[in-house]
Amino acid sequence: MTAVLEVAGLRAGYSGVEVLHGIDLRVDAGEVVALLGANGAGKTTTLHAVCGLVTRTGGDVRVLGATVPRGRASATVWRTARRGLALVSEDRALFSQLTVGENLTLGPRRRDRRAVEEALGLFPVLRDLLGRRAGLCSGGEQQMLAIARALAGRPRLLLVDECSLGLAPIVVGQLLPAIRRIADTGTAVVLVEQHVPAALAVADRAYVLSRGAVAYDGDAGTLAARPDVLEEAYLGRA
Amino acid sequence: MLTYRASGVVNFAHAALGMFCAYAYYELRATGELALPLLGLPARVPVVERPTVFTALVAVLVMAAVMGLLQHVLVFRPLRSAPPLARVVASLGIFLYLQDLARLRFRKAGAASFEITSFLPRGSRELFGVVVPNNRFALAAIAITIAVAAGALYQWTRFGLATRAAAESEKGALLLGLAPDRLAAANWALASVLSALSVILITGITKQLDPIATSLLVIPALAAALLGGLSSFTLATVAGFAIGMAQSGVLTYVTRADWIPGWLPRGGVERSLPFLVIIAAIVWRGRTIPARDALVEQRLPESPSPRHPLVAATVLGGAAVAGLWTLSSQWRLAIVVSVIAATIALSSVVLTGYVGQISLAQYAFAGVAAFTTAKLAADADIPFPWSPLLAIAVTVAVGVAVGVPAVRVRGMTLAIATAGAAVAIQELFFNSSAVGGIAGLEVPPPALFGVDLGFAAVGADNFRPAFGTLAVVLLALACVAVANLRRSPTGLRWLAVRANERAAAAAGVNVTAAKLTAFAISSGLAALGGVLLAYQLPTLSPDAFLVVGALALLALTYLGGIASITGAIVAGLLAAGGVVTKLGGGTSGSSPEYQFAVSGLALVVVAIVWPDGVAGALRRLAARIRR
Repeated sequence: MTAVLEVAGLRAGYSGVEVLHGIDLRVDAGEVVALLGANGAGKTTTLHAVCGLVTRTGGDVRVLGATVPRGRASATVWRTARRGLALVSEDRALFSQLTVGENLTLGPRRRDRRAVEEALGLFPVLRDLLGRRAGLCSGGEQQMLAIARALAGRPRLLLVDECSLGLAPIVVGQLLPAIRRIADTGTAVVLVEQHVPAALAVADRAYVLSRGAVAYDGDAGTLAARPDVLEEAYLGRA
Repeated sequence: MLTYRASGVVNFAHAALGMFCAYAYYELRATGELALPLLGLPARVPVVERPTVFTALVAVLVMAAVMGLLQHVLVFRPLRSAPPLARVVASLGIFLYLQDLARLRFRKAGAASFEITSFLPRGSRELFGVVVPNNRFALAAIAITIAVAAGALYQWTRFGLATRAAAESEKGALLLGLAPDRLAAANWALASVLSALSVILITGITKQLDPIATSLLVIPALAAALLGGLSSFTLATVAGFAIGMAQSGVLTYVTRADWIPGWLPRGGVERSLPFLVIIAAIVWRGRTIPARDALVEQRLPESPSPRHPLVAATVLGGAAVAGLWTLSSQWRLAIVVSVIAATIALSSVVLTGYVGQISLAQYAFAGVAAFTTAKLAADADIPFPWSPLLAIAVTVAVGVAVGVPAVRVRGMTLAIATAGAAVAIQELFFNSSAVGGIAGLEVPPPALFGVDLGFAAVGADNFRPAFGTLAVVLLALACVAVANLRRSPTGLRWLAVRANERAAAAAGVNVTAAKLTAFAISSGLAALGGVLLAYQLPTLSPDAFLVVGALALLALTYLGGIASITGAIVAGLLAAGGVVTKLGGGTSGSSPEYQFAVSGLALVVVAIVWPDGVAGALRRLAARIRR
């Protein structure tokens, strides 16, 4: 297996306060990795540090074999995106004034009807909304659009932050298997998710973060059978 | 509109850039020399001996593109994550700079140094019984072509789509691997070229080129763009044509109609009616609470709760009064100018800083109060404390009247609507022969309980401190009152409305009532400033209350810190003719030549360095020292 994402000793924080104290991660092609942990454990910060939205203060991040530079955030994000990384951020970062269809066509770097069609195939609901302004869509529709837009760019590494946020359980039930299928085509996926059982059901491996450090890593199936690890990470029991 | 797309900036300097390029074009045609828009570079470079229309146009349009790029790289890119108001302030700085530079570079413009000629076809033909010159047809054709081309570019090309996307969410664009920077740069260049081209075309027909008037073309242009919702080129073009036609239509009608009372200035009706129509249309399109897909401007300037307002007011006010009684007459004048400017700035703090409603009508409110005072005192013989009080009451009524429709719009839309209202007030009211007109009015000096509170006096006693003391006391009282309001439940409701109107409404705040109280209090403060101004100025003329003045003072207040009382005081100190300019003039003996160009640049620089204003920077410094 080839490593798509390698993170070693990652340190990052906000205005002088360190949030991540040395994180090690590895994600291979075709693999779904769940990133779990309580609120404030550093999941989102990890994703942001990987794509360059947060400038790291230490450690090394390699996407597809190339080190992510530590320069200006805007330049870094742009470069990693060009290399094939897609982040579905928690706030969705949709273009609310553009239509659903326009949002989707901006996903791929060139006009790529096929990629858009494939993404629509995963979320048939969106087909009826192509002419609607994204800002007028419901929260769930927006979330689907955000993921579909990322997929239309055929990413090699997909980072999904809280994909079930604001979605009906039935939609989550369709979404996570869809993410599994994306990985099966060779894309590496990192899934940050509050819905732990659902995430572990589709993930190959899982990392549990606690206070900015990796508390557990290993096989997703094994972790699902170890409620003690999860309880400690989420409820902070000693 | 293009630049709004490119960087979310409503660029007040847009027509100013076109104006400069138009000057440059006509001069290039005449002399073969191209005037450069940067201080420090040689004023002119020779291009070709006898340029044809084509070479001159190309040279000037290339310069326009470069100017657009420079604006983007030097000013608006560093400001892209700053609050929107910081960007407006920067564009005002550029506006002042270009305007003054044009005045300096093309000083002989009025004389026959070059001729304003149009290269559009001459002659005329008849259309629906009206004789229309051919060049109008050509102009209309060009305008429609440009609009269609631009519309197609933004609707159907990937470049256009990406531009629209990047203007809304830079993060989203970056995450998709779009390069917002390059897109913005290209759009700035394109927009600048279009601006230069259209001003050259228009001035070629009207034969009127003037640093200020031409730059102010930006207001109808922005209004047209607003009607197009800042995104529809078709609507904007139609609106642009409609405004132009309405203006000339109204002009013909007004000169014939005899029902219009004689005291209404006819030119004023012509110039202000389109604005009233626009305001009506904008308001009609607006909504009391923004819709779900409305763009929410994220960053807001800090609005700290004022501490010890009484102590601060006493100390500062005491210092000002001490200055008034001890310093020379020129200093007394400077202090009073600052105090009055601070009072008007305070009205912006309430409305713009606390409630987030950008209003450019504050000077117009002040003007209403000033003229009403003058009228009441001079003609109706109403004695001193009552005439200004009545005037303030009238102004509050006007302010609320402007505020009622304004409740339905917000952000830059409101800024432009209030600018329109200010122009309308100026054209219809200030220039009206019943109020005083261009000639100006003299206001009888105030007196209370036999004490002469007049400002002007003969000889060394001129600029009497008694009036200054009155002004200082009033400002101090106003500051303490505003500070208490800020800490009261009303103030909290204001801040809630500013942060998120929908959330505020959901939390049980009556948004309409909150905005209207703010409009009332704010126009009251502006009126107070206006009344003081009426007594301070030797003669009262409409020039004192132009929209440009409101823009400049808003910019200064922003730099001072729009959401704090300190900001108003800083703005007062910085105001033209105030204490700081007096200090500056006193020390360097400076060259007033470049004063506005330099202060325009200073505005831009400060907006980039301290997007939160000087008061914010001071507060951070203080916090660091405490730590």
